[in-house]
Amino acid sequence: MAKVLYEWDYSSYPGARKYPNLFKPVQIGNLIIPNRIKYAATEENFNSHDGFVTDADVAYMRARADGVVGGLCFMQGVYLDETRKGQGYVGQAAAWDDKFIPGLKKLADAIHSQRAVAGCQLMDCGRVGAVDVPSGHGPSNVPQRLRIFRPMHEMSVEEIHENVRQHAEAARRGVEAGFDVIEISGIVGYLISNFLSSYTNRRTDKYGGDIRGRMQAVVEIIQAVKEAVGPEIPVGIRLCAEELLDDVRGNTKEESMQTYVIAEEAGVDYISVTAGWQESIVPVISRDVPMGSWLYLAKRAKEHIKIPVQMAYRLFLPEFPEKAIAAGELDVWEMCRSMIADPLMPKKVLEGRQDEIRHCVACNLCLARLFRDAPMTCYINPMCAHEHIESYYPHPLPEGEQKQIMIVGAGPAGLECAYVAAQRGHKVKVYDTRNEVGGTILDASKAPYGDDELMTCISYQKTMCNKFGVVFALGTEVTPELIQDETPDTVVLATGPIYSQLPGVSPDDKRIVKVQDVLSGKAQVGERVLVWGTRKPGIGVALFLAKQGKKVTLVGKEKSAGFDINPSFKWRYMIYLRQSKVNAYNDCNIAEIGQGEVIIQTYDGYRFPVKCDTIVITEREPNEALKAVVQGEGIQLYVIGDALVPRNLSSAVHDGYRIGLRI
Amino acid sequence: MAFDAEKEITRLWSHLGSVQGEIGRTYMRWRQAALEIAGPGANATEVSLKAAEVIGVEFGKGLLPRLNWLKGEEAWLMNLANQLAGRWITQGAVVKVEKGSNPFEVFLEWERCPWPTFAKEYNVEMEEDVVCCDAILKASLRDVNAFFNVDYAIETLKAIPRGQGICLRRLAKLQK
Repeated sequence: MAKVLYEWDYSSYPGARKYPNLFKPVQIGNLIIPNRIKYAATEENFNSHDGFVTDADVAYMRARADGVVGGLCFMQGVYLDETRKGQGYVGQAAAWDDKFIPGLKKLADAIHSQRAVAGCQLMDCGRVGAVDVPSGHGPSNVPQRLRIFRPMHEMSVEEIHENVRQHAEAARRGVEAGFDVIEISGIVGYLISNFLSSYTNRRTDKYGGDIRGRMQAVVEIIQAVKEAVGPEIPVGIRLCAEELLDDVRGNTKEESMQTYVIAEEAGVDYISVTAGWQESIVPVISRDVPMGSWLYLAKRAKEHIKIPVQMAYRLFLPEFPEKAIAAGELDVWEMCRSMIADPLMPKKVLEGRQDEIRHCVACNLCLARLFRDAPMTCYINPMCAHEHIESYYPHPLPEGEQKQIMIVGAGPAGLECAYVAAQRGHKVKVYDTRNEVGGTILDASKAPYGDDELMTCISYQKTMCNKFGVVFALGTEVTPELIQDETPDTVVLATGPIYSQLPGVSPDDKRIVKVQDVLSGKAQVGERVLVWGTRKPGIGVALFLAKQGKKVTLVGKEKSAGFDINPSFKWRYMIYLRQSKVNAYNDCNIAEIGQGEVIIQTYDGYRFPVKCDTIVITEREPNEALKAVVQGEGIQLYVIGDALVPRNLSSAVHDGYRIGLRI
Repeated sequence: MAFDAEKEITRLWSHLGSVQGEIGRTYMRWRQAALEIAGPGANATEVSLKAAEVIGVEFGKGLLPRLNWLKGEEAWLMNLANQLAGRWITQGAVVKVEKGSNPFEVFLEWERCPWPTFAKEYNVEMEEDVVCCDAILKASLRDVNAFFNVDYAIETLKAIPRGQGICLRRLAKLQK
């Protein structure tokens, strides 16, 4: 008889009425899971470099377990071998010895403390492993395409048998630590996916050949794990439904579906559907991929197998999984990045607080950090990775310490600071010359390829400001007189940047326009445009104009265009620039501006002309306005966001959060 | 607008020539250093062949992200041949790529190459220049073949340093 670990009754919650399919039970193996929600295993590099679980990871997981409201909550994948060939991340937890069980138990206990179902994932990183040792292991010695990965060693039959045993032993340790479900990771270039793929498995023995042969090691792993954990513990697997590796002769879609069928035959209790490898040249989860794009893969999986199908991959809004579950195309809604950005995301859905969700903006900073051996952080969630640090929480102020705070600027820095300070008990008033909140994001969100999703940050902040009683004075310019009249205890300048002037050019010159005026449609722009500045604002407006059919040239002083965009997303922009025929000249300055053309000068003195009838300024500088006035009045002053140093949305949010805590 | 196109292009052209010259001379200086450290008993061609292998393997690894099977094997092969030729063109050679008699055969023809000149300048035997180019190209294919699960080979049919006027190389799939 199927077992229920924790009883949950969602009937009184508004979310359960709005999304009835998300909050109904599902049977996974011998377990009844009370809802269809899963925090999927996500590496975060929080653990010690020898594989022991840290307090940071425990606190991080406890917060996500709270979010799944009784659903499945998976810890990151553990590596399985003492040689560390299977370790893909410096802070990855290990399970190759019983000495790791106490740490793993802390994670299982943290998840259970929130009455959620605890999952442990087994993950030998194979081709993308060996992060700290000279070579990795896999079915065949296929060279690496990306230099960051280690050379491969072809596993002998004995080594494959040993790897099967390691999976089983690690699964046994997971169960001893208290986990309720075991999952085998077979995706994105990890060991199991290496065995499955025609790209990386060239073996001619029983572990290679056709898809059944390439599945042989996986079948043995599934069976060994099932035997190790017994019939009471469900065992699942994550498998690629499409490798997206046609450029290197990877598996066909049909072969991928065969792996699902064979895994089901081997006895897994569910399959988690994924797409693409880390090496794929097809974008899968970046912001330019529309939400819900990959749901057809879950539907295809449902047509091939009978066990429950789970999936994440750009399902940031509950409407997508709700509809898919209702249509019988999906069983469980997985989340990774959306619960990095907001650990309580599904809980807020259940409680009818959807407007309080801080949505992931699919920038992939989290991934970029992992690949550079750094602990994960979130672009948009300053609390992420700091859950174990008490001072990062907005605790109420002691009696008598409340201040009157004037925040100048209702952009992301000002709004973040405003609600955090108000949440702690300060009286906060936010001023902006515009009649709406959002600051530079109002314009930046007009750039193409998904940048409209940046506005979700502003919507969240606005809701939180309203919730905590922040007062707004929109359409109001803050003058020295206003500051003197109001005499606040603290002024926070979050005014955004000022835009650089080109030397020797009149500010009234109609050929020169600012980026925000172009994006908002206020400025007239000619057919040939030179964009001055190659950071994200420059790239965004260049693509915006190129989409209108204009001939655009990017020119900037930086060594490379887009250096302020994290590498896990930057490659997309570089492709869009090439496809849009936007020339980018790095390491260059504008030397002269003439009629219909501009002379560009390279860092080492070469000069060349670029035809253009409009120059768009995106280069920014700190905004010093009002600083002297506030200091002159002896008022406590903070400068945050682009007003302090022009950077990006993430810096604005993080600045605002930290100063909101500090005042 | 003070812009003199001829002046700018002349400067760029002259600097490109200097860079190409520096590439060859830097290689030759390192070769000399390696031989001095190896001592009087060292075989110069053996040392140079080791360097050629290292250069070729590195070059081959650099090709992996630039090659792609999506348009089929013939397009892939032409891309590979053009990448190999491009390596020498940036160093100052004139190289043409032509299809062979079957879809899996390509010829690369060097009409001009700066390397025999460098060899002469540094008193290196002409045959060493031939075998080193050959070794670089062969080593370049090692990872490419393994990565794409193919079996291509390159052979030298004619060589400028042998007084044959051009270097001619055949890049073709091995018959099994």
